[in-house]
Amino acid sequence: MHIPDGILDPITTIILWIVTISFMILGYFRMGKMFEKEDSEKIIPYIGVLAAVIFAFQFVNYPVPGGTSGHLVGGTLVAIILGPWASVIVLFLILVIQSLFGDGGITALGANVFNMGIIGGIVGFYLVMLFVRLLNNTSMKKELKVTIATAIGSYIAIVLASLICGIEISVGGVIPIEIAVPAMVFWHLLIGLGEAIISALIIFYIYKTKPDFITTESMLGVK
Amino acid sequence: MAEKNRYKWPSITIFVIIATLMLVIAVGFTLGFLSENPDGLERVLTDYFGEEWLENLFSPWIPFLSWITNDYVAGIIGIVLSIAVLMGTFYLITRLKKRNLK
Repeated sequence: MHIPDGILDPITTIILWIVTISFMILGYFRMGKMFEKEDSEKIIPYIGVLAAVIFAFQFVNYPVPGGTSGHLVGGTLVAIILGPWASVIVLFLILVIQSLFGDGGITALGANVFNMGIIGGIVGFYLVMLFVRLLNNTSMKKELKVTIATAIGSYIAIVLASLICGIEISVGGVIPIEIAVPAMVFWHLLIGLGEAIISALIIFYIYKTKPDFITTESMLGVK
Repeated sequence: MAEKNRYKWPSITIFVIIATLMLVIAVGFTLGFLSENPDGLERVLTDYFGEEWLENLFSPWIPFLSWITNDYVAGIIGIVLSIAVLMGTFYLITRLKKRNLK
């Protein structure tokens, strides 16, 4: 879903840059309290691990039926671990590094962060929160509730991000909206399954091995 | 000692992730769980315009690391860069936030 340079029109590019920068500034101020604690540096090495995991999984393209491939975006996953506002900054940094390799454009960075960090991260997080609260009415174990909610939330977030991406590329008149949106959504309905499975497995694994690394448990309202 | 222990398991985990990625690249295409097919957006654009159009899009810069075509090298450099940039940024964020609290 990495938009290259030369696809978006200048107005869309500028608007999405402004929105993204605003969200990052807001993100810095609204980031979880864990970054203000006396021992908050403890989390830094684990952020390094998270960076390695996200980059490694984004590198691995899995096949999707119909001659397409997909890879993890990880917005929702990062948001569940570090909080929705921190996820925008993480995705921004990861996308900057990827653009150095030519994966996603530099002018389109604002749009890419909007799609993968804001829609994938913040919207994805609140979707997971909604599903956790729905699952609180069941007798499931809490790690299972968060795992299932992660799968559903990250799936919807990816499909939603692809819909927004389809609208963005059609706004400048590159591809008609009636072609861009259905095609983007169709492929991401398939690609999103991989995102849901990988995100859910990683969250389940963290819950089993280092549950305190999921810093948003109280925010998610899991019981 | 505490400082050493703090970095021990994250460091081991990062080495395991890099080793696993190298192994996945080595066998992934052979076994078919990796694919070089275009992703969702590339597919939509190539279906509409063709591959040549996508390759000739105007960009205001040449990506600094685009000369790295070897998957193994790109994977390792990408992971190392991601770790350095993210850890550095969040270290600065925590320092700034604490300083503001004081």
